[in-house]
Amino acid sequence: MNVIETSGLGKRYGSTWALRNFTVAVPAGHVAALVGPNGAGKTTLLNLAVGLARPTAGAVNVLGGEPAGSPAALDGIAFVAQDAPLYKNLPAADMLQLTGNLNRRFDHGYAQERLAELGIPLKRRAGKLSGGQQAQLALTLALARRPRLLVLDEPLANLDPLARHDFMGMVLAAAAEDGMSVVLSSHVLAELERVADYLILVSGGRVQVAGEVDELLARHRVLTGPAAEAGRIAQRLSVVHARRAEAQAHLLVRTGGPGDPVPPGWEAHPVSVEELVLAYLREPGAAALPGPARTQKAEPTEVSR
Amino acid sequence: MADGPAGATPPDAGGGDGDTPLARSASPIEFRLDTASGVPTYLQLVHQVEHALRLGYLKPGDQLPKVRDAVASLAINPNTVLKAYKELETKGLAVGRPGQGTFVQATLSQVALPELATLRRSLLAWLGTADAAGLDEDGIVALFTSALRDFFERRGAPGRRGTSDSQKEGVA
Amino acid sequence: MITLNTPAPARRDTTPPPVPWRRLTWVSWRQYRMSAAGAAAFLGVLALYLLIMGLRIRGAYAAVADCSLSAPGKRCVGAFLLFDNDYFLIAETSAAVLLAVPALAGVFAGAPILARELDSGTFRFAWTQGAGRTRPTLARLALPALTLTAAAAAFSQLFGWFFYPFFAGREFAQASAFAPIYFTLTGIAFAAWTLTAFAIGALAGVLIRRAVPAMAAALAAWSGLLLATLLFLRRHYEAPLTTRTGQTSPSSWVISNWWTGPNGHRVTSENQIIAILNGGPHPGYTQWTIYQPATRYWHFQLIEGGWLLALSLLLIAATIWMVRRRAA
Repeated sequence: MNVIETSGLGKRYGSTWALRNFTVAVPAGHVAALVGPNGAGKTTLLNLAVGLARPTAGAVNVLGGEPAGSPAALDGIAFVAQDAPLYKNLPAADMLQLTGNLNRRFDHGYAQERLAELGIPLKRRAGKLSGGQQAQLALTLALARRPRLLVLDEPLANLDPLARHDFMGMVLAAAAEDGMSVVLSSHVLAELERVADYLILVSGGRVQVAGEVDELLARHRVLTGPAAEAGRIAQRLSVVHARRAEAQAHLLVRTGGPGDPVPPGWEAHPVSVEELVLAYLREPGAAALPGPARTQKAEPTEVSR
Repeated sequence: MADGPAGATPPDAGGGDGDTPLARSASPIEFRLDTASGVPTYLQLVHQVEHALRLGYLKPGDQLPKVRDAVASLAINPNTVLKAYKELETKGLAVGRPGQGTFVQATLSQVALPELATLRRSLLAWLGTADAAGLDEDGIVALFTSALRDFFERRGAPGRRGTSDSQKEGVA
Repeated sequence: MITLNTPAPARRDTTPPPVPWRRLTWVSWRQYRMSAAGAAAFLGVLALYLLIMGLRIRGAYAAVADCSLSAPGKRCVGAFLLFDNDYFLIAETSAAVLLAVPALAGVFAGAPILARELDSGTFRFAWTQGAGRTRPTLARLALPALTLTAAAAAFSQLFGWFFYPFFAGREFAQASAFAPIYFTLTGIAFAAWTLTAFAIGALAGVLIRRAVPAMAAALAAWSGLLLATLLFLRRHYEAPLTTRTGQTSPSSWVISNWWTGPNGHRVTSENQIIAILNGGPHPGYTQWTIYQPATRYWHFQLIEGGWLLALSLLLIAATIWMVRRRAA
């Protein structure tokens, strides 16, 4: 089952297309990371998936075919928007009651346990809590709904390192316990590797990369070798991004798999998620999408500089 | 390899009484993550289990950390832990009991002492050759690490052969 | 691909049933407790004022009740002047002030509900809950709407009691309940105008998305509507009557009157009119009065209450429709 499935999705604000021809299928049971530069369309995609916005073109379905924003979709998806919106003048206890009243399913016991563990006072107004506590409260409310899909828009932006760790620990524990799927957008690339097993790279309103992290990492590697041969390699292999000095070059290439032979005289190194994402961000023309119909041969921007 | 029913917490688990970080986990070991090592997370977990077995922290019958607990304390993807446990299962070191957790099944097979001695001798000989060729310590480590990685990549994990081999070995 | 094989909870395949209304009303109550308390306090003070002042007015009225204009004793004149000048002025001012209350109540209650939701971003929380957008919004509008309308109805009763001595219809009665401002404050009109103010506020809130501009716009729109009704609309609910007798019941609504001279033309000079009124018989001069008879009071109340109610419902429906369509 796909928790989010879009086909040719497009969203236009005024005369600008925030998303264009966006097709992606995020499988269930994963933690999917949505990465990309500011303004690339991440928030727009998430808003469309949770029913806060309507598509201008194409369609978005969630939880195995339910239209986004339908009652079944709203029931099964919990969303924590950027800056964790809460009713600032209500105490945490009231926020719990309120959320419980607005949903069919709400685990009060779980919510109170979590808030006690986190040390969030129930009687204090939400607006008086620290940024980290507000984020944790918003997350607790979302998780207590026992959703099938949790959607987080830049959840870690205002959190200190410890709060970030605890926040993600809570999300992932819920994913482990209930089989909940997670889609989160993030800038913090370094942490994605530990957390995400599905990656979607959005750039300029389009999908640039989409796939399981393991598979993406298996199908990419960095070849290090003589700069003079770089051009020749680029003709045979699909180079995503090249970095060249006078004598030495590093080529981030797409391969068929780990068994692919390494060109003689070259060294192969595995690639990290961070390196992969940065390389693709630097090469807007390149793409790595699932399915034979979608693999595009990287356009000849490869050997740059 | 499912964890217990969602939401069911044993009455004495949970950090309610203050000094119980140790009492919380039902497993003798706890995982830690080395983010700087460059080794994939799931492999780190596998190695930590194997290391714990070697050193005696884990004995057959002990429970490995619950997926949920490992995930909550390390903030890593649950599938990573599952992958590590599956790897351990494939190696025959652990077994999953549905509804209860993952448990240690066997100890690491010991390589016989004479064989170890032979291996050590051939290794020292090779080191002598490398040294004569002009490689310094870092150079030796780099070469060895790269060759090691290539070797296991092509060979596949123990218990599974590479793609060229259609036979399947190991624990069913 | 490795997937978690936790026991899958039984999931319903059909659309989930709607969330109960009572819980949604609780949501509405919880959020606006504070402002509701503030409004209640304010209205309480106002009611107290009307009560106290009303009792004093009745006292003054009782003092005058026994006398009649035709045979004023000294005591009567004094009492009468007190009643007619001082207290009437107070009462008139109170009436004018009271007219602002539904506007403010409606606007302050209606506009912020959705405007603040949109402005502060909490709609990204509220509209992604299982209950959806329509029902919670309806509940959040319904509770204040009903409370305000009920409070307004109570207030118009209180005002009726307060102003009764001046409506009493005796020879020295000063005011007609049918007159534009008093008509708006009595019967069911007051409640209807309050509800309309709320509905305009709510729609302004969802259209303008910011609380203060929405309040200002709603206030302007409501005032415009009231003005249009007082000046143009109301007099045409039924065709007004014309009389040349110059005698209309004190409780009727005199829309306009003028004099015509022997030549049939309108008398425009004020001096002439004064001369006619002060002097004796005036052959050839006729006073024309266009008016609505007192008997039509309740009929007009129902008409006005009716179309205001319809308008309010329409505006609230439009508000809900906008909420459904509003995209992030």
